[in-house]
Amino acid sequence: MMQRRQFLRHAAGGTAALWTAPWSLGATGVAPSDQVQLAVIGVGSRGRWMMEQALQVPGVRLRALCEVYEPHTAQAHETLAGLEVPVYTDYRALLDQESELDAVLIATPLGVHAGPMIAAAERGLHIYGEKALAFTQDECDAVVRAVQQHGVHFQIGHQYRHAPRVKRAVERILAGEIGRVTHIYAYWHRNNNWRRPVPDPAHELHVNWRLYDTWSRGLLAELGSHQVDFANWIFGETPTAVLGSGGIDTYHDGRQTYDNVQALFTYPSGGSFFFSSILNNHKMGYQIHVMGTEGTAELRFEDAWFYYEPWRPNSAVPKREEGASWAQSTPSLSVEGDRPYDGPGAYVELPEDDPGGSADYRALRAFFEDLRADTRPWADEVVGWNATAPILAGQRAVRTGEPQIIPTWNGG
Amino acid sequence: MLRSALLLLVTLLLVPAGQAQPLQAYRADAQAMGTTVAFTVYAPSAEQAQALFTEALTIIEAVEQTLSTYRSTSLVSRLNAEAGAAQVTVDPAFAAFLQRSLAYSRQTDGAFDVTVGRLVEAWGFFRGEGRYPAADALAEARQQTGWRHVVLDTEARTVHFERPGLRLDFGGNGKGYALDRVQQRWRTQGVTAALLVFGGSSIYAIGAPPDADGWRVDLPVVPGTAPTQVMLRDEGLATSGGAHRSFELDGRRYSHLLDPRTGQPVQGRVQVTASAPTAEAADVLSTALFVLGPRDAEALLRATEATALFVEGTPERPRTQAVRWRVLAPNALDF
Repeated sequence: MMQRRQFLRHAAGGTAALWTAPWSLGATGVAPSDQVQLAVIGVGSRGRWMMEQALQVPGVRLRALCEVYEPHTAQAHETLAGLEVPVYTDYRALLDQESELDAVLIATPLGVHAGPMIAAAERGLHIYGEKALAFTQDECDAVVRAVQQHGVHFQIGHQYRHAPRVKRAVERILAGEIGRVTHIYAYWHRNNNWRRPVPDPAHELHVNWRLYDTWSRGLLAELGSHQVDFANWIFGETPTAVLGSGGIDTYHDGRQTYDNVQALFTYPSGGSFFFSSILNNHKMGYQIHVMGTEGTAELRFEDAWFYYEPWRPNSAVPKREEGASWAQSTPSLSVEGDRPYDGPGAYVELPEDDPGGSADYRALRAFFEDLRADTRPWADEVVGWNATAPILAGQRAVRTGEPQIIPTWNGG
Repeated sequence: MLRSALLLLVTLLLVPAGQAQPLQAYRADAQAMGTTVAFTVYAPSAEQAQALFTEALTIIEAVEQTLSTYRSTSLVSRLNAEAGAAQVTVDPAFAAFLQRSLAYSRQTDGAFDVTVGRLVEAWGFFRGEGRYPAADALAEARQQTGWRHVVLDTEARTVHFERPGLRLDFGGNGKGYALDRVQQRWRTQGVTAALLVFGGSSIYAIGAPPDADGWRVDLPVVPGTAPTQVMLRDEGLATSGGAHRSFELDGRRYSHLLDPRTGQPVQGRVQVTASAPTAEAADVLSTALFVLGPRDAEALLRATEATALFVEGTPERPRTQAVRWRVLAPNALDF
């Protein structure tokens, strides 16, 4: 196993060519010795979708599954459409018995993230871990320590970092296209009870774990992690304090996690990030508004638009050529630009040679490419820690109504 | 997600044997795959019904994210961009779906063909209302069409197009595939009565409402023909018709329903409805039979345990023709 991983790490030169010209290397484009042996731990709806996306990446071979809830296992078999793999109900048994593994994809409930992540790292396995990083601050610290001590690759499931239009929009924001960013407002609003069908009430927790404190940090963790990571990405730093509010105000059905949460995060350089998630009105859907001194970028899951402020008082005046006019007189008054936020905005287009694929597929492909080339994943364990620490503090703020101080990653 | 509020349709309370809680009918509408989905389900509570609807929409969203040619990030868009030049790896479920799609093409002698993407573009029906194509554009599109040019290696799970430029388009069976995924999941959740309607063109019925033999469904009415109602139970129903997406040129009507073998819109047919054991099979059959016509339908319908109702002629002069068409259960007529 170690030899395999060493091979993968040292094959960077050859594999770079392999990924860019797969058709030159036979039917699958991947030599048998260069395949990545993968196990998936947790095959609920998210785990199954990610497994499906992972199996679209050339050279990824599924070796085993782990799932405790039988209907999820049955649904995973549907997804695998006849592809037979061993199924475990204990991740430790899987890790002990599957000796050929290179990597694991972990999509268990949040309260069960740290155990398999640390165990996999201790066995030298690379990890694609769904967000958020872990259930408690101590567990987050322990996961990062284990990953770094054992020198394995870790990628956190912040797939929107790989959504092509989002990525392109952020590049433009960071290049200054909307000036200095001061505020980010993010929404994930839905109009449903966030429940999934449970044929047998005995299995309520396995299916609807998001609704219970046992394994869940609620909407802020499950829906807000992506946006906190996004704000960190834009501001280039992590927040230090958070205010919160929320409650169970619509769905009085025995759930423990709130059905609406709002949180306001403060960044050290003066930036503010507001997040709202409610389950009884869909109007805002999933949106992120990045507000700068010269414009606003509006982002959805995989789309982005730019709007520009009507005037830019601080913009520099370009040097004019000798004899050039300062202005051209116009016969009538134009009001164009007075209402820049009316209309559709300037859509962010993709280049012709964009490679295609969903954000999830691209995130997984990047993970396997990094693994083969032994390059550090972009959204690594520290990126995960930096998004999860604010989430955990935010959850405390929401529950207590008290402002919370957010710890800062100190380098381990 | 759910675009409209959950609607309580039937206030009648029923307590079937073995059910701990009485079942009620709930309905929800949503937008998906470019059209409206309308689901009715008998469930013990509004909460459980909503959980079923949410799960159904999650399944449909996953199918759309895989199959849609309107999404640049879908698997099929990536295949269409890459598979002409390279082997593209696909996941097991898609490989199985593509394999079935190609088998349907073989079984229907190419009347059903998921490689019609270029023809649909040439005739202006991709993101458009249609136009008569230039001769060279049509010739090129025909050259880039044909299910035999799709090489699926089921063991390696790779797809390659022997004709660069070929475009997959699952408009003929994607909705049925999505409905089957939903109905299979719902059955494992204990659902015994539900009606899944996709844009009116693709329907699947699980079981029957309490005290009924099946779900009564109206077929799309072609003016000048008798309204038709059918009773569905554990089967799919699909209707193909060209009237709503077509254009007229020099007195002749051209619909979006193309014969993949000739590259031309089908003439002389208004609508075809097929019922079959699955929604996907019904979808495929209504599309294929619109191309093949009633004369070649009997053997195909027999082999697939399906039935069909044709509306031949023109919208101005339609005539109905049944082939193995179902006899309505007696109480379906009892209004």
